[in-house]
Amino acid sequence: MARRLPISDGARGDAVEIRIAETALRAFERESIAAAALASGTRVLSRSLKYHRPRTFFCLEGHCSGCLVRIDGVPNLRACQTPCAAGIEAAGQNAFPSAEHDLFGAVDFLFSRGLDHHTLMTRSSVLNKLANKVVRQLSGLGKLPEHAAHELPAVGERDVDACVIGGGPAGLAAATALGRAGLRVLLVDDQLRAGGSLRADPRFGSNVAEQRVANALAVGVEILGRATAIGYFPEDDGGVLAIAAPEQLVRVHARAWVWATGGYVVNLPFADNDRPGVIAARAVGRLLVEHGILGGDKVCIAEGPNLASEAEALASALERAGAAVERVPVADITGTRGRGWVTAVETPGGLVDCDLVAVAATPSPASEGARQMGCKVVLDPDAGGFKVVTDASGRTTSPNNVWACGDVTGYRGTESSAVDGERVGGNVVAALAGGV
Amino acid sequence: MARKIVLCRCEDVTLADIEHCVHRGYLDIEEVKRYTGFGTGPCQGKECLAPVATQLAKLSGKTPAAIPPFTSRPPLAPTPIKLLANAPDAHRFEDDT
Repeated sequence: MARRLPISDGARGDAVEIRIAETALRAFERESIAAAALASGTRVLSRSLKYHRPRTFFCLEGHCSGCLVRIDGVPNLRACQTPCAAGIEAAGQNAFPSAEHDLFGAVDFLFSRGLDHHTLMTRSSVLNKLANKVVRQLSGLGKLPEHAAHELPAVGERDVDACVIGGGPAGLAAATALGRAGLRVLLVDDQLRAGGSLRADPRFGSNVAEQRVANALAVGVEILGRATAIGYFPEDDGGVLAIAAPEQLVRVHARAWVWATGGYVVNLPFADNDRPGVIAARAVGRLLVEHGILGGDKVCIAEGPNLASEAEALASALERAGAAVERVPVADITGTRGRGWVTAVETPGGLVDCDLVAVAATPSPASEGARQMGCKVVLDPDAGGFKVVTDASGRTTSPNNVWACGDVTGYRGTESSAVDGERVGGNVVAALAGGV
Repeated sequence: MARKIVLCRCEDVTLADIEHCVHRGYLDIEEVKRYTGFGTGPCQGKECLAPVATQLAKLSGKTPAAIPPFTSRPPLAPTPIKLLANAPDAHRFEDDT
């Protein structure tokens, strides 16, 4: 079972009462709803779209769809990116009567070998019409909000020398290098708190993240937090990056762009790899490092290739916190067991009992925004996925003065990304000074 | 839960679905996306694009470098529509105030 570890008073913020699935829980202001749910024993948050398989968070970074819930009457909000506040009310989606006990879960067993919607009941037109009716009732994500938006926010504008996208180790280092040179810098970060993987890696942690954020602020960098780059519009005023901040759309113009979006945590292919309790190793680290929550008492690390040092660091941190840890190479995992939440992984040598599976897979470069700016990417499975191609200085193939650093150029890890960010930031300074 | 290897959790696309798709002759990443629906859910491919592309390279016998990503379109992340309502170039109807 997940539990809160004894950490210093006040580190979690004030205690508040929230409600999840009509149950009152004690939570803390610095926790996300997802973290509070897990620490309080709420495990299944929603159901999947097609087979109604149980879903809960996987990434804890706001990128997967595992923790979409209805919060205070608004559907499809990410529980991991919504901070706890007194009186907040969260409910599961896509489930009847509840996410834990969902009758439509039968679909998963009825179509245990898969469901090809192109050929589902297509032999008879009458049956096909009926099937379409049923499917339309069942599918879709959540229900409409209870109320229309009270007010439509005005749009913000920023015009800066350099816009850095991503506030992890690479982005913070690049932004600090740019700010130190006296440039006007906007750093866009999509998490509850900037710091990226620093806040999930036991070798660094929240204090290191806070220090690096402070360094960036000290040289005048503006940090736009909880804000996501949602699209680049080249035809709009010479190029505009649209940023969705919590309460406002911000249109950004910049002389140089630096993509430091890092990598998305991904799953690995084994049977029932989507079972609740199978979550990203970085999410397990984030719970421990950022929230002081031990995700499980018996943790199985499903270890992908080339991640031995990350797995080692996580394993020893979990052990220090009181968990039993077993590292299993992912090639040896043939499936997972459990009723809802995971209870074991299957290997040729037998079952490995656990109450949490931490999937350590090479993160996938978050390159889709850079792609919209015209940056060339290439699929490199060893680097995690589609990495942004740069020259030795960090410049991409885009004609718009676009640069990239850190894991988005291929996975390199936390500290190495910071070094890369510092280096590329310096190169952007030189290029801007040269009028390039 | 029935035994499945899930590559895209948003749209419940399994490894078997990708194999079925390739077996039917859909080898291009855009075709695979349209046939299976992978990458079209709330994550927009953040979790599934690389794993599916990697499996597609294996199944089709192509080198990874020969597999392009699918086109990424705005919005890249779930966005409340109210944020876009006052964008200066948003389409306006004549009777809007």
